[in-house]
Amino acid sequence: MNGHQKSWPIILVITILSAPLVLAYAYLFVDTVTNSPPGSVVPHEFTLEHWSFLWQTRPGRLSIWRVTLNSLLFATTSAALVVVVSSMAGYVLSRLNVPGRSFFLAGVMMLHAFPAITLIVAIFIVLQMVGLYNSLIGVILVKAAIDMPLGIWLMKGFYDTVPWEIEMAGIQDGASRLTVWRKLVLPQVRPGIFALALFAFLLAWGEFILPQVLAPSGNAQVLSVYLASLIADDNNFDMALFKSVGLFYIAPVLVLFFVFQNYLMNIYGGGTKG
Amino acid sequence: MTISRLAIWAGAAAVALLGNIGLAAAQNVTISIWSGGTGPNDNYRVDAIEMAADILERERAIAGEDLNITVEKKVYPGWDDFKQALTLAAEAGNAPNIVVTGHEDIAPWSQSGLIVPAEDYLNLDAWPINDIYENLMEIASYGGVVYGLPQDAESRPFFFWKPHMKAIGYSDEDLEALPARVQAGEYTLANVLEDAKKMQDAGVVQPGYGFYPRPENGPDYWQFYTSFGGVMEEDGKLVLDKAAMQRFYQFFADAAAAGVTRKNHIGTPTDQWYSEVPSGKVGIWHGGTWHYARYVNQEGLQDFFGNVAFTLIPAGEGGKANTLTHPLVYLLTSGHGEEQTNIAAELIKIASEPRINTLHAIKSAHLGIAHQQSNIDLYSNDRWAREATERLLPHANAMPNNTNFGDYWSAMWKGLESAWTGQKTPEQAVSDVEAELRNSLGEAIVIR
Amino acid sequence: MDAFRDKTERLPASGGAGAAPARRRLGLLDSSRGLGVLLLLPALLLVVLFFLMPVVLTGVFAFTNMNTATGISGGAHQVSPGALRVLGERYEMGELAERLGQPTYVVDERGLAALEEMGIASGIVASLRRSHMDESFTSRREFERVIRALPDRPDTRTVKRISDAFSRSLANARFASSGALVAAAEAIDPDLTAEEKEALAAATYTGWNWTTDNFRRLSSSRDTTRVFFNTLFFVAMTLVFFNIGYAMFLAIATHYMPERPAGIFRIIWFLPRISPVVIYVLLWKWVAWDTGFLNAVLSDFGVRPRNWMLDSATQAWFFVIMINGFVGASMGMLIFASAIKAIPETHFHAASVDGAYRWQQIRHIILPQLKWPILFVTCYQTLSLLTSIEQTLLATDGGPGGATEIWSLWIYHTALNNYAGNLQYGYGAAMALVLVVIGIVLSLIYLRLFNYNALITRPRIEL
Repeated sequence: MNGHQKSWPIILVITILSAPLVLAYAYLFVDTVTNSPPGSVVPHEFTLEHWSFLWQTRPGRLSIWRVTLNSLLFATTSAALVVVVSSMAGYVLSRLNVPGRSFFLAGVMMLHAFPAITLIVAIFIVLQMVGLYNSLIGVILVKAAIDMPLGIWLMKGFYDTVPWEIEMAGIQDGASRLTVWRKLVLPQVRPGIFALALFAFLLAWGEFILPQVLAPSGNAQVLSVYLASLIADDNNFDMALFKSVGLFYIAPVLVLFFVFQNYLMNIYGGGTKG
Repeated sequence: MTISRLAIWAGAAAVALLGNIGLAAAQNVTISIWSGGTGPNDNYRVDAIEMAADILERERAIAGEDLNITVEKKVYPGWDDFKQALTLAAEAGNAPNIVVTGHEDIAPWSQSGLIVPAEDYLNLDAWPINDIYENLMEIASYGGVVYGLPQDAESRPFFFWKPHMKAIGYSDEDLEALPARVQAGEYTLANVLEDAKKMQDAGVVQPGYGFYPRPENGPDYWQFYTSFGGVMEEDGKLVLDKAAMQRFYQFFADAAAAGVTRKNHIGTPTDQWYSEVPSGKVGIWHGGTWHYARYVNQEGLQDFFGNVAFTLIPAGEGGKANTLTHPLVYLLTSGHGEEQTNIAAELIKIASEPRINTLHAIKSAHLGIAHQQSNIDLYSNDRWAREATERLLPHANAMPNNTNFGDYWSAMWKGLESAWTGQKTPEQAVSDVEAELRNSLGEAIVIR
Repeated sequence: MDAFRDKTERLPASGGAGAAPARRRLGLLDSSRGLGVLLLLPALLLVVLFFLMPVVLTGVFAFTNMNTATGISGGAHQVSPGALRVLGERYEMGELAERLGQPTYVVDERGLAALEEMGIASGIVASLRRSHMDESFTSRREFERVIRALPDRPDTRTVKRISDAFSRSLANARFASSGALVAAAEAIDPDLTAEEKEALAAATYTGWNWTTDNFRRLSSSRDTTRVFFNTLFFVAMTLVFFNIGYAMFLAIATHYMPERPAGIFRIIWFLPRISPVVIYVLLWKWVAWDTGFLNAVLSDFGVRPRNWMLDSATQAWFFVIMINGFVGASMGMLIFASAIKAIPETHFHAASVDGAYRWQQIRHIILPQLKWPILFVTCYQTLSLLTSIEQTLLATDGGPGGATEIWSLWIYHTALNNYAGNLQYGYGAAMALVLVVIGIVLSLIYLRLFNYNALITRPRIEL
């Protein structure tokens, strides 16, 4: 739009501003397969040695595959939970007449002000009481709970755009509200559900502090904790290794992002359909 | 009377029955051990337990018992995450059977009931416990109760890069005499700053690399407080000596102001520090005996004694040259079955066998825990262990075992950080530490 | 963003609420109320478990002195030297402390009877009676040596049980309850006054106590002011420069360029948000570290290598704000961009026909349209930033010298993660409570600001 105005100066400015970010991500790829002479940023040889973590488990650490499996379990389960819970609750808040609905909606907004970290000691106690400290299930529940307010809010937005007529028609045909929701309304918000699922998956995939505190012990370790402890370990300073593990870790995110960017970029536009 | 007699009979019968079952079926026990601050050179902290398990199994087999011990090992390279994980796990009732940690944790952990006294399970007069240095046993005790067994000892020397010292006019004889001069208080922390400055002026090290201290919190910093005449604890009560604390803060503020230490030195990645100091990039620094192992095994320093001189921490104004020993201890945690803890206790006892402990002492360049280690060739032939023991250990202090020491420590470090980085003047920093401690500890600390 | 959209777009529609309610009585799942409650149930459960209960617990903890030494789950009574000292100093019962706390082992009939009760071999009991009757010892180790010297040498655990049976003091004894403690004390000294019993129980208690000290400490600590202003600075700068300012720049800039480059730049600036925080911060460290990218490039120009992230407080803030800001900017960028898109093309055409410059377009057409989105992003991001921790933790960890210590990080360091392993749950909870209260107050204000009631359209099907 506004093609008659020159756009190249703006493109130039924004390119310069984006350069550091692009460079940082570009070098994330470059450094994992090359070596550079000390003090230089220009690689001089190709190598795969930085990727040896894939087939050699470091002493005292879990195998990267086990950790990846944990991350995958963590992210998918927590995303599924967020989607299920939010699409149920979002529908109620958008459409149904339950006592305290407005109170609950206000509450959901306020939950955003209760971040996990400030309450983490107390959350630990709760997990301990239900016997889920240091287990993947515990972190999954907490992560899902924390992402849920955003999920409900987004889902409510998506439901709000569904025309009432669809439900009216369903009710006229004698379907129950449950059936109407499942058969008629849910398909309408499918793009929203998909976007939320993706987003929740990415949020959980990137989560660090919750698993770090609530499931630190070996068997429940996820990739973020694995990488952070590798970096924090003062016995193996090796930026190329950190980056290789990092690239391994971020690769699924980048793939999902580039394939489904339209869904993701619309996440905040909740309401304007998928 | 008849009832109690009946009880005894029943008890005896039960014991006999259990004994028979024990004979019939193999007893499988899993003993878990977590170890903090443990790097690749320190593997014998946990491996020793495995070796001990093997010996105990054989001992029991001879006694006619089929005991099968599985040891689950977990090491943490750092301290923050280790203590967080361990404390929370213990609260959740999942503490490992054995913990290797700094002795200063004994006080708070015994109060919270996280650990049980080792002396409830061990005969302190039996070998090898009766051979462990008396002062180390005291460090492993709290309130007269032996809570753990010392796992290692060490001390924390000052290091000088010989070629750089020579570049500013020291002869070989001067360097030879340096340890004695430091000990006598003739070479002080003030000289350290002077020499560091000279090295930088001479261009042998870059600005900020003249004096290159530990880049993160650690027991090391109490040594400087002591060097300036500070006392950590007196008659079981913590002591804040404001004047000494201020001189100590002033020293680091001065070092930063003179440019011999970088103002932003704290937070330098520790692995970077470990690789820089033995490469000749640095003039003077301080560390621990285990640095020897790190430099030689991991960082590729070929000729340690040719390049590095080591001494006590030089005296500052109002104090004496000193060093600090920060023994790690094997502790037994609560919340496990009687028999399991009993086996864990046996294991830490066997792991304290001089020959086994020597593996750790020499591989990781820590110091031994028992008299007889000097009769083990591996130990006595090791130049580092010998010299470090003679030169440093007689002057070593330890941090106190005091429930509130953690608060004091955190406050001391925060104050140092703020004075060092120039956020506050040393005077302000000390007064803030004082305010903080009055606030948090109240009558539990003597401030003077 | 729903907030403003609802406000601007949905308000007129809600006039039609309550139309055509065809009332029918049906089963639970058919009624709006029944189904609603059912569908809300999982969400409610999660809210109760992981929001309400933790908030309540935090509120409770804030009024305790809970820490590593006291433990969380309750305490016992331990007659430690520290406890005896308190008994002497605070309660002025030094004499009582001396009497109960001096280790004493006496071989007497009572102890021997106890041994029989425990089922200790009769030979041991007999030889103790024969050779050591009425002897007393002041050290456990000494007494145990004697026991081990008996003809039928007992094993280590039995030795411990035997010596326990003859202990006639409370030194280092640990009791699960104050009742057990008092009973044991009375066995030694039957004439304890009620006052003495109370003092003994209080002084030996190892668990946490109720206290308001945390708030006194918080209000008088100099750290509080510093961390408070750090937090304020952090939130304000990140918000103004990045989450709003830079986000708006990105949205407007991409608006004025062809679709393809606009899309590319939006993707680039969305990367920080979707990147896992550990690797995202690692990239910044790689840029800033002593041996990092910036130094490698700058060394060619003779600049001395340094850790750019931690070199000075100013630089640390620069990085902390930028690292957080790049993540935050994407949200504003997308919201503002979609709001600009919603502006009818004709507005722009009219303006450019009138010869308006781009700047005037921005001022007179775009900015007015962005009023609600900006307000929304401000509100949402203030709350996010107040509680953000991961980026700062991984980047500077509050350094150098506590310069970038923000409130949430302070809580983490106090309650969970510090070198000395001194975890102050109670004090940390008090800090957290302050943040929770600020959060609630702010969100109430925001709800009011966005005219919350307008968001609730009444259901049009009344079932």
